[in-house]
Amino acid sequence: MSSPVLSLSSVEKIFPNGVRGLSPVDLSVEKGDFVTLIGPSGCGKSTLLKLIANLHTPSAGTLNWWGGGFKDVGQKGRRMAFVFQDATLMPWATIVKNVRLPLDLEKVERTTANKRAHAALERVGLGHVADQYPAQLSGGMKMRVSIARALVTEPDLLLMDEPFGALDEFTRNRLDEEMARLCYEDGLTTLFVTHALHEAAFLSSRVMVMAAHPGRIHAQYEIDRGIVRDETFRLSDQFAGISKELAILLEDASRDSMIGQEARQ
Amino acid sequence: MMTSRSLSLLAPITLGIIILAAWEAICRLWHIPPYLMPSPSAIWRALMLDGMSLLHALLITLEITFAALVVAVLGGVLIAFLLVQSPLIERCLMPYVVIMQVTPIVAIAPLIIILIHNTPLALTACAALVAIFPVISNTLQGLRSVDPDLAAYFQMHKATRLQMLLRLRIPSALPMFMAGLRIATGLSLVGAIVAEFVAGTGGNSAGLAYQILQSGFQMDIPRMFAALFLITVAGLVLYAAAASLQRFALRHRS
Repeated sequence: MSSPVLSLSSVEKIFPNGVRGLSPVDLSVEKGDFVTLIGPSGCGKSTLLKLIANLHTPSAGTLNWWGGGFKDVGQKGRRMAFVFQDATLMPWATIVKNVRLPLDLEKVERTTANKRAHAALERVGLGHVADQYPAQLSGGMKMRVSIARALVTEPDLLLMDEPFGALDEFTRNRLDEEMARLCYEDGLTTLFVTHALHEAAFLSSRVMVMAAHPGRIHAQYEIDRGIVRDETFRLSDQFAGISKELAILLEDASRDSMIGQEARQ
Repeated sequence: MMTSRSLSLLAPITLGIIILAAWEAICRLWHIPPYLMPSPSAIWRALMLDGMSLLHALLITLEITFAALVVAVLGGVLIAFLLVQSPLIERCLMPYVVIMQVTPIVAIAPLIIILIHNTPLALTACAALVAIFPVISNTLQGLRSVDPDLAAYFQMHKATRLQMLLRLRIPSALPMFMAGLRIATGLSLVGAIVAEFVAGTGGNSAGLAYQILQSGFQMDIPRMFAALFLITVAGLVLYAAAASLQRFALRHRS
C-alpha cells in the first residue's frame, strides 16, 4: 500500500508568545480525499493548514508528505498548491502572468508555461480575461484566477484557507460547485479550511470539526464520496441531514471551546 | 451639462482671469508705480523684452534641477535598498538620514558651496540633498509593503532571493516610489533655486534665482515678476510630468 498523501502524528504548535495554537493533532489524508477543517475562530484550523504548507514549523510531532519530508515536496507526484483567503494576485501583472507565476518561479520554458496557464484559466472558465489586470475583475473572478494559479502546477495536494470567505453567498455557491467538479472528477486531494457549515457539508468527503482553547480536533464526520455535488444535492434532504448533524457537532465543539476558555482565565 | 472635468479646468481659469483683470484695473486706476506693484501688462512686457535672457537662465536652473533629481533618485533608491537589507544597517544609517533631512538646506548650502569649487556641481549637490529624503523614505516603505501572503506564496514555491526582489519587492515598491518621485521632482526645483540664491552666481551661468536677485537690486520689479512667472510655469510642468509618469506606471493597478 502506498503511503498517505499527508500524515501528521502528535503535531503541536506553540507560538513564540507562549500561546498554544494547536494541541497534538493526528491526521491522515489519503489520495482523493476532500478533507475540510471547520471550527470556531481560534481553533487552529488555519494554523494547521499553514503547518501543512510548511509556512509554520511544528513545535513538536512529525509531519510527512507522501511519506517523506518537505524537501521532496514540489517534485513530480508531490506537488502542493495553496489558495489563500484573498486572491493574493500581483496587481501589476496580467491575469495570465499571475497564473503563470509558479511555473515562472520553476523556470518552465515560456511557451509551455503560457499554454498551461491558458489551459488552467479555461478550466475555471476565465479564458477570456487572460490579458486583463486583477483590478478589472470582480472578487469572485479573482478567486477563480487564484484557483487557476493553483491548478496550473497540476498539484497532487490542494490546500485552501477559507478561499471563499469574503464572497457573497451566490458567488460562493457557484464556486463551491466548480470546486466539487474539479476535485471529485479529477480525484484531486484537497484540504479545505472554512467556517461555513454549509460549505463543509457540500464539499467534503470528511469533515474535521475543531474546537478552540486549545486548538484541537474535536470530532470527525464522513460523507459518502459518491454523492454528485451539484445544485440538486444542495436542495436535497440528504444535504439538510448532513448539515444538521454537522451543526450539532459544531455546537458541541464551540461549547467545549468556551469551557476551555473559562478554565484558562 | 458641463462635465466635472471641464468644470475643474474652467473654474480656476475664470478665477485667474478675474484676478488678473482686477489687478490690472487697480494698478491703472490708482496709478501704482511699477516698482511697487507692476500691472500684469507691465510684467508681460518685461517678459517679452527680457524673455530670451530669462529663458536662458531658466534652462540653467532646470539643468541643475534635473541633475539633482537624477542624483536624488539613484542615490535614494540605492540607500533604500541598502537600508532594507538588514535591521543592523538600518539602525546604523537611519539616524544620519534623518539628520540630513532635518538640517535646513539654506544653513548647509554655504558650506557645500565652499567645499565644492565647481558651482553647478555644488548647486546640484544642494538640490539633491533636498530631494533625496522622500525618495529614500518612500522607497523604503514601498519595499516593506509587500503583501505577506504573496511573499509566503513565493517562499512556498521556493523562489530565490533574486526572484523575490525582481518579481515581488520591486513591483510592490513601485506605487510608493512613484509618490516619492513626484515629491522629489518639486523639491529638486526648490532646492536648485534656494542653492542659487545662496551661491548668488552671476555671469553667463546664472540661473533664474540670480535673475530675481539682480532684478531686485535694480528695482526692476516687472522683470522680477516675469522671472517668478517662469519658475511657477516650470514648477507646474514638472509636477504635471511627474504626475503623468506616476499615472502611467500604475495604470493597471486601480
